[in-house]
Parts: sequence; C-alpha cells; structure tokens
Amino acid sequence: MHDTPSETRRVRLSCEEADILLDNLAAHYRLFAPVRLPGRGRFSDQDAIRYAEVHTVHEIEHARRSHFSPKEILFPVSQTLFYLMDDALQEPQDDPRDMLVFLRACDIHGIARLDDIFLNNGPEPEPYYARRRARIKLALLECRHSLDEHCFCVAMGTNRTDAYAMAVRCDEGQLLVEVRDDDLRPALPASAAPADFTPEFPTADPQPVVVPDADRLQSAIRDHGFFAHPMWADYAKRCIACGRCNTHCMTCSCFTAYDIAYTEQPNAGERRRVWASCHIDRFTDMAGGHAFRDENGSRMRFKTMHKIHDFYQRFGRHMCVGCGRCDASCPEYISFATCISAISRVLEER
Amino acid sequence: MSTDLNTKLIMRNAYRITSDRRHTCLRVRVPGGHLEARHLSLIQHIADTYGNGTVHITTRQGFEIPGIPYEMIPEVNRALAPLLEALEVAIGVPLDDTTQGYPAAGTRNVAACIGNRVCPFANNDTTALAQRIEATIFPNHYHVKVAVTGCPNDCIKAHLQDFGIIGQAAVEIDAARCIGCEACVTNCRKRVTGALELQNMIAVRDAQRCIGCGECVLKCPTGAWSRNPHKFFRMVILGRTGKKNPRLAATFLEWAAEPVILAVLRNVYKFIDEHIDRSLPKEHLGYIVDRIGYPAFRDALLDGVALNPQARVAERLDFHGYWHTADGIMQW
Amino acid sequence: MTNPYQPQPAAILDIRPETAIDTTFRLAWDTPPSPGQFYEVSLPRLGEAPFSISGIGDGYLDMTIRKVGRVTEGIFALQPGDHVYLRGPYGHGFPLEQLAGKRLVIAAGGTGLAPVKPVIQYALAHPERFNGMEILLGFRSPEDILFREEIAAWQQQAPVHITVDRAAPGWPGKVGVITELLPGLDLAPLDQFQAVVVGPPLMMKFTVRALTERGLCDDQIWVSYERRMSCGLGKCGHCKINEKYVCVDGPVFNFTEARWLID
Ligand SMILES: Cc1cc2nc3c(=O)[nH]c(=O)nc-3n(C[C@H](O)[C@H](O)[C@H](O)COP(=O)(O)OP(=O)(O)OC[C@H]3O[C@@H](n4cnc5c(N)ncnc54)[C@H](O)[C@@H]3O)c2cc1C
Ligand code: SF4
Ligand code: SF4
Ligand code: SF4
Ligand code: SF4
Ligand code: SF4
Ligand code: FES
Repeated sequence: MHDTPSETRRVRLSCEEADILLDNLAAHYRLFAPVRLPGRGRFSDQDAIRYAEVHTVHEIEHARRSHFSPKEILFPVSQTLFYLMDDALQEPQDDPRDMLVFLRACDIHGIARLDDIFLNNGPEPEPYYARRRARIKLALLECRHSLDEHCFCVAMGTNRTDAYAMAVRCDEGQLLVEVRDDDLRPALPASAAPADFTPEFPTADPQPVVVPDADRLQSAIRDHGFFAHPMWADYAKRCIACGRCNTHCMTCSCFTAYDIAYTEQPNAGERRRVWASCHIDRFTDMAGGHAFRDENGSRMRFKTMHKIHDFYQRFGRHMCVGCGRCDASCPEYISFATCISAISRVLEER
Repeated sequence: MSTDLNTKLIMRNAYRITSDRRHTCLRVRVPGGHLEARHLSLIQHIADTYGNGTVHITTRQGFEIPGIPYEMIPEVNRALAPLLEALEVAIGVPLDDTTQGYPAAGTRNVAACIGNRVCPFANNDTTALAQRIEATIFPNHYHVKVAVTGCPNDCIKAHLQDFGIIGQAAVEIDAARCIGCEACVTNCRKRVTGALELQNMIAVRDAQRCIGCGECVLKCPTGAWSRNPHKFFRMVILGRTGKKNPRLAATFLEWAAEPVILAVLRNVYKFIDEHIDRSLPKEHLGYIVDRIGYPAFRDALLDGVALNPQARVAERLDFHGYWHTADGIMQW
Repeated sequence: MTNPYQPQPAAILDIRPETAIDTTFRLAWDTPPSPGQFYEVSLPRLGEAPFSISGIGDGYLDMTIRKVGRVTEGIFALQPGDHVYLRGPYGHGFPLEQLAGKRLVIAAGGTGLAPVKPVIQYALAHPERFNGMEILLGFRSPEDILFREEIAAWQQQAPVHITVDRAAPGWPGKVGVITELLPGLDLAPLDQFQAVVVGPPLMMKFTVRALTERGLCDDQIWVSYERRMSCGLGKCGHCKINEKYVCVDGPVFNFTEARWLID
C-alpha cells in the first residue's frame, strides 16, 4: 500500500451530512452506485440491483452485490460508435461530466483488467472506453467480509485495494468516509466529525478456491492435452450457452459491432457495438457457416482459460477478480469457482 | 335409532353426505393451497380422534377428513376453530364464530399454484392473491370455483374453473441493454406465441400477441427485459368439467389489475342470485350463462367496476368444449 | 484522441470477376500495407468486415472478395467510382525480411491464395532477394481457380503446381488434395527453406503436418489464420485463440506460435 497521503481525511457523517456530501459531489460529478430497482429482478417480486445514477445515500445498495457489474458505466451494453448519415460517419457526443463510481474492491481491480484490454491491448487505446475512463474516479464501497457465498476475491488477490479516491462504510445509518483525493475533499460538509476509519477488507473467502498456477496450466494444455480432459465434456452436458456468466462478469469485455439503417429513414443509421459472449452461439461464426467451439463444454473451457490462464500469459495477472457474479447468475448452477478449483485438483493429480 | 339429519345444513357446514349412512366427511379449506406445516397436526388430530385416521387430499387443495360420525360434528367444529382462525380469519375472511365450523361450502376453496414463492416462472404470489380473493368471496353459498395461477403454464388448471386468474407480466424492454442475441425471440417463437422479433437488432414486442408469460425476462442475458412491478391478470371464465358439456375456460379479461379482478368476483353473486334456476337442486354458473348469454353476464360482472386503462375485455367467448351426446358415438 | 474506428473512403478503380463468386476490387489507396495484413472494410448501414490484401501497387490496393453475406453483397453491388470505407492496415503480415535469401514453398488453398499473392508477386519481382520458389495451389474445382492471368505469368518464372479437389472429365491437371503435391518437392537443403501455408483450417493442418514430416522445423513455416473479427484492434475478443489475438498478433503466425493455437 502507498503511504497514506497526509491530507487524507476520515470522518463520520450523519445521514443528512452524507447527503450534503453527495450533493456537493454532484456539483462536479455524476454519481453512480448500485441501486435496488423494485420488482425488476429476473423473478417476479424480486429486485434488480444495478448501477444507476444516485443523488442520495439511501439509494445506494450497501449490503448486496450488484447483479450486473459496474463495467457498464465504462463499457455500455450497447453503444453507438457512429451515426451514419449518407456517407458521413459522425461520432456521437458523450456526456462530458466527470463521474464518481461507488464500487467494491474486486470491481476496482476489474477496472484495471478492462484497462488492460481497452487501453493496453492492440496497437492503440480504445477511444470510447478511454474517454469515459479518463472521467471517472472510484469510491470504494467497503466489504469488511465477503458479501455472500459467491465471493472469492481473496483467492484472486483482489480483496484489497488502495486505488480509490474515497472509501465509505455504511455504519448503522451513518457513513464513515475516507477521502484521499484532493478534488473530493472540499465536498465534505464543514460539520463532519473526524473518525478513525480506514477501510477493512475480507481476509478469507467463504469457501476456499484454489487458483491453478498459470504456468503449470500452460504446460498441461501444451504437453498433456488438458483441453481434452473429461471435465469439459461434463460441462458440455450442463451449460446451456446462455451467456449470463459473461454478461454479468466484471471483466468480460467482448463486443460485436453491427450497422443498422433506420426504418423510417434508410439513408441514416448507426454503427453500434454491443456486448458479446463467448458462450453464446455465433460468437465465432464465419461466413460460410464455419464456427469454432461448437459444443458448450469447449466454451466453458475457453472462458475459464481466458479468466485464469490466457489473460495472465498476456498481462501478468488473472482476468478474473473473484467477484462471484458468474456463479450468482448461472441458471444451471455451474460454479466457475468450483471449476477453477477442480482444475487445480487435476493439475495436482498429475 | 336411525340418524335424522337436515342434509342441507350439514352440507352448508362443509360436511359431506357420504356413501356411508353413519359417517360424514369434513372438507377443510386451504385458501391459496399453502399453509404452515404446524396446522397439519390439527388435521391429523381430527382425523385420528373423530375420523377414521385417514385424510384425502383434494384437487382443490383442501383436505377431506372421512369417517366422522354425524353426531360428532359439533365437537369437530370446536376442534377446528384454531384452523379457521389461522387459515380464514387471519387472512380477512369475516367469520363471526369460529367454533361453529365453516359457515358455507358452496363457494369452493380458492386454489393456487405454488407461485413465485417457489416457481421461477410465476408472475405473482398466487397464494397471497388467492387469500385476498377468499376474503372477498367467502363465505358464500353459491357454487363458484376460483383458482389462481402464476403464468400461462396454468399449473393449477385455471382453465377448468368458473374463474381462472392467470398472472401476467407487463414486460418492458430497455432497448439500450439489448444485444440482439435473440434468446428471447427464439424462445417466444418456440415456446410461447411468437410475439417478438428483432428489428434493427433490437427485440421488439407485438403487444397483440404477447400473453405476458414473462419468459423473455427469464431468458435475457443482459436484463434488457423486466416486468413492470404492477401486476396484471388474465381472467378466464366458465371452464368446467361435468356431465353435460365439459369445456376449457375462455378469456374474459386481459391485463386487468387486481382491484378489477376482486370487483368482478364480487359482482358474480348478484348475477347468480338474479338468474339462477331455482327449480334445479343447483345450477352451475356456466349453465346459467349459457341460458342468459355472455353480454348480460359481462355487463353484470363489470357493473360499477373501474377498469384499469390497460385492461381489455373479450368481445365474445369462444368455448371449445364438447357435448356428452350419443350422436357422435360409433356402434360396434 | 483520433478514433481508430473512423474509416476512410476509398474509390473503387476497377472490378474484376475471378470466379462466379469471387471478385477482385481495386481500390484507390496511397499508403501500402505489407503483404498478409488486412483492412476492415465497411459500407455505412450494411456493416464492416475484414479483408486481406490480394494486390499492392502504386496508389491502389486489391481485395479479392467472396460474396457470402450482407457486407460482401453490398460491395458486389458497387460500380467503379463508388466508395467503400477502409480502416487499417491491421495485424502482422508475412515477414519478408525473414524469408529473404531463402527458398520459398508457398502452399495456398482456395481464397487463401488472396493474402499470399502479394508475397508471390514480391518474390517474383525481386528474384535476387530469394533463392527460388515453389508454388503449390489447391482449389475446389477448376471453376474456383483465382487469378488465372497472374498464375499464367508466374508459371513463366517459377514452378507452379495446381491441384483441384474434383473436376469434370477433360480437366488436364491434377485432381487431389494439396498435400499430395508435397512428396514431389525437392526440399534439399532443408535449412534453406521457408514455407508459407494459407488456406482452410484442415488444409493448413495437413499441409503443415506433411511439411514437418518432410523435416521442416516449426520456425520455417508461416501460416495465416482467419477468425471472426469485429474490431481488428485487439479489443472485441472475437478473434482470440488462447492468449493470442489473431487481429494483432497475426493473422500471420510463425508455426512455433501457431502450433499452440489450440481451439
Ligand atoms: C483476417 C481476415 C481476412 C479475410 N480476408 C478475406 C478476403 O480476402 N476475401 C474474402 O472474401 N473474405 C475474407 N475474409 C472473410 C470475410 O471477412 C467474411 O467473408 C466477411 O466478414 C463476410 O461478411 P458479410 O457481411 O458479407 O457476411 P455475413 O455472413 O452477413 O457476416 C456477418 C458478420 O459476420 C462476421 N463474419 C462472418 N464471417 C466472417 C469471417 N470469415 N471472418 C470474420 N468475420 C466474419 C462479420 O463481422 C460480418 O459483419 C477474411 C477474414 C479475416 C478474419
Ligand atoms: S469470471 Fe466470475 S468471478 Fe471472475 S470476474 Fe468474471 S464474474 Fe467475476
Ligand atoms: S470470457 Fe469470453 S466473453 Fe469474457 S472476455 Fe473472455 S472471450 Fe470475452
Ligand atoms: S451462465 Fe452457466 S449455463 Fe449460461 S453460459 Fe455461463 S456457464 Fe453456461
Ligand atoms: S411475455 Fe411471453 S409472450 Fe410476451 S413477449 Fe415475453 S415471452 Fe413472448
Ligand atoms: S434476450 Fe435480451 S439481449 Fe437477447 S435479443 Fe432478447 S432482449 Fe435482446
Ligand atoms: S478482431 Fe477484435 S480483438 Fe481481434
């Protein structure tokens, strides 16, 4: 961890003061946080927890993980790349305001993974991501303990972070706040009482997850035919290729671009990009009907390898940040965490 | 000495006249078909103490406790009081004296599929709605069958009731979340009514075809579809089994809000009271409407009902029942 | 920040049908790519698709395109003077420096010939920089043969072996898969050779296997991969195979790398 900047302020805020803080912040930033959307969950009478713009502290869902990750703030589900008017390609304007995003430690690490792809992979940074990335600051929503049974940030080494501008803990109706960023400090209400608060982090996962050594895994793949291991055939029977593990994932960054022409005015249209998923059909389709990884076990294997092997070989750290969203969202109860532990076991047994 | 009974009163008290001259059978209602397990011990106690130690589980989600000597009825009714308190009074059914047993049996137990407390397809808490309906229409002597189901799979067989209430989800798309994967489109086409298609890579719903099953919400990997939190219902009416003309119920209302459903059910009784053929031992509602005609029935049901703006009322009813006549039967 | 997705218009100079479904489009373009690289070509409101370069010249690029879907049908509907939109070039092409001084074996199957054609043309134009070249071409049928005129010209300068999978009676040439041409090759001295293998996945697999069986080392073999692509920039993930992105690390790979591209 860095040395704590000397100007860091730590305060305890009443509900009213916390809203003043948010008001003050909102003067310069759009504030994004997980919120509860009543009745909008997958099942009736269940809530959806998603990222949305907030204005008051009580809108923020402190206790539960958001179903979809905060990646959609930087990398929207669907995004217009160009408006296509006759022969002109017009880049759409993006909201120019800065953003402050409340998110958890694993997701802060997740943003670093998105940076690896969007800013650092390939010949140049991705402009649509980059322009939003340059406008966000991160506010840590403290997890003192794992949020639920799906978390495995400790195994992935993403449980701790100091890459935040401020941190908050919801403490019996009050808000404990640590502000490290010079730009945010003036937003604290003058009445704020000093408090002894530095965020704590989970130190154990609810269930131990064993992450395989990436280099041993590479040797298993290259020298021992690991892709043909029967464990993948088992997933072929279980996975329905619905893609939820990808769409809910904090670090899945794949997309597909397409053009449309407006029905009412066919000489105008859009070039859009939308999230893509390596589990969903057509991800690898080529003209003429050729496709790779036709059966779902090989898709599970491909995703898993990306998360705990391929990305590591490229960027020196795992793509998966252990947020647990894949496990929480899989309708077939396929646990990715169980899968990577199973891989570790297979490597051990050899 | 032989038993002397007023069978009408016995039956109104939810006891059966049975094939055994000395014993009756108590019909226990479980509105919404869901009860705390602890109540089962009282049911067992009654069966063991007053009945023959057995219990029959009915299609209407009640229990029948057979083998009760007629003379034990007052005692059984007293023993039953805690159940009436818990399953009827607690949900708002107006019972003055719970030690007298059920005050009526004509309007049957309001049944429900397991609903969204368990089933992922259900668009509502069917038990809770069934209980609110029970509180609206019970006790009542007219024979009316009502059941509530969470989605058009209709696991409770709402289509065999006088009034079947089917949960509908007003599904809404957030087009900015649609990735054009077609999961919803394919599913709706293959399993439902084909109400969806991609237009310019975004799923679009044909409101005329959509039956509000909510499956698109279940299928969408990005959460583009969700249910409007306001609950809606399709009401199918006048389904029946029986000896004369069995048939599935037909749609009367679509996209009706709960207050409309409750108000319509309240209106049924006045209609029956006005039109029932009292020369018969009991004329079922469907046959009354067969005589009187749908338009009059519709107007009676909707009398004074403030329809929610989304609600749609059937112009006519198309029944697909059959007649138990010998005409079509081959001899060989 | 410049937007790498912003394509530039390129005028169609010439349109030359090659087969019933493949046509070469000559596009006005000033900055030459290296052979083996590709461009994302788009028609606004129809879409974008990656295409290799089948010819490079002064002020122009050739792309040989098969009509298979939305974008390609749109391109086929264009006339000289119309515009398509290009961004690129992307990826790594063939390593002309590493091929220099060597004897080349070029094995191309079907439309795989398109990206290799500039290599062949470069080698034939600069015979002094190479130590000879054998050209093996496989097509599905005689009707699928691309670049007939060019091939006729190549035959004047280098051995060109052509085989087709099937042919109507009367076809004077060979019938069979491309690997059947390999035993006839004189590969001595072995270390002097560099092989370029491009074609459908199975053709590449068996040709590479046959070449290594003949004694070529992995590092003497170059292949070019094709995958579904959306961005060409290493972002969209469609073209990923293990830790490699075909659009940025390929499409041309040395076989020391390509052998680990397990799908
Ligand atoms: C590096 C590279 C070089 C290529 N070079 C050539 C070439 O020289 N000549 C040629 O005819 N074709 C080439 N292709 C294949 C060409 O890109 C596809 O035929 C083309 O995308 C089909 O587009 P469509 O809209 O006409 O077809 P559709 O079937 O309508 O395709 C729909 C979408 O699928 C995607 N897609 C389909 N097939 C492919 C594919 N094979 N590769 C990548 N994306 C695909 C595209 O994004 C396209 O927008 C190349 C592909 C790659 C990856
Ligand atoms: S793979 Fe699963 S646990 Fe890992 S980052 Fe993605 S959703 Fe989270
Ligand atoms: S796991 Fe699949 S969808 Fe996710 S980033 Fe990797 S390739 Fe893309
Ligand atoms: S969420 Fe589960 S079933 Fe769906 S694609 Fe992922 S692993 Fe397969
Ligand atoms: S609610 Fe059911 S019928 Fe309506 S669009 Fe969705 S899947 Fe189709
Ligand atoms: S399932 Fe969801 S993302 Fe897929 S087409 Fe339907 S609405 Fe769009
Ligand atoms: S084409 Fe998008 S990552 Fe390669």
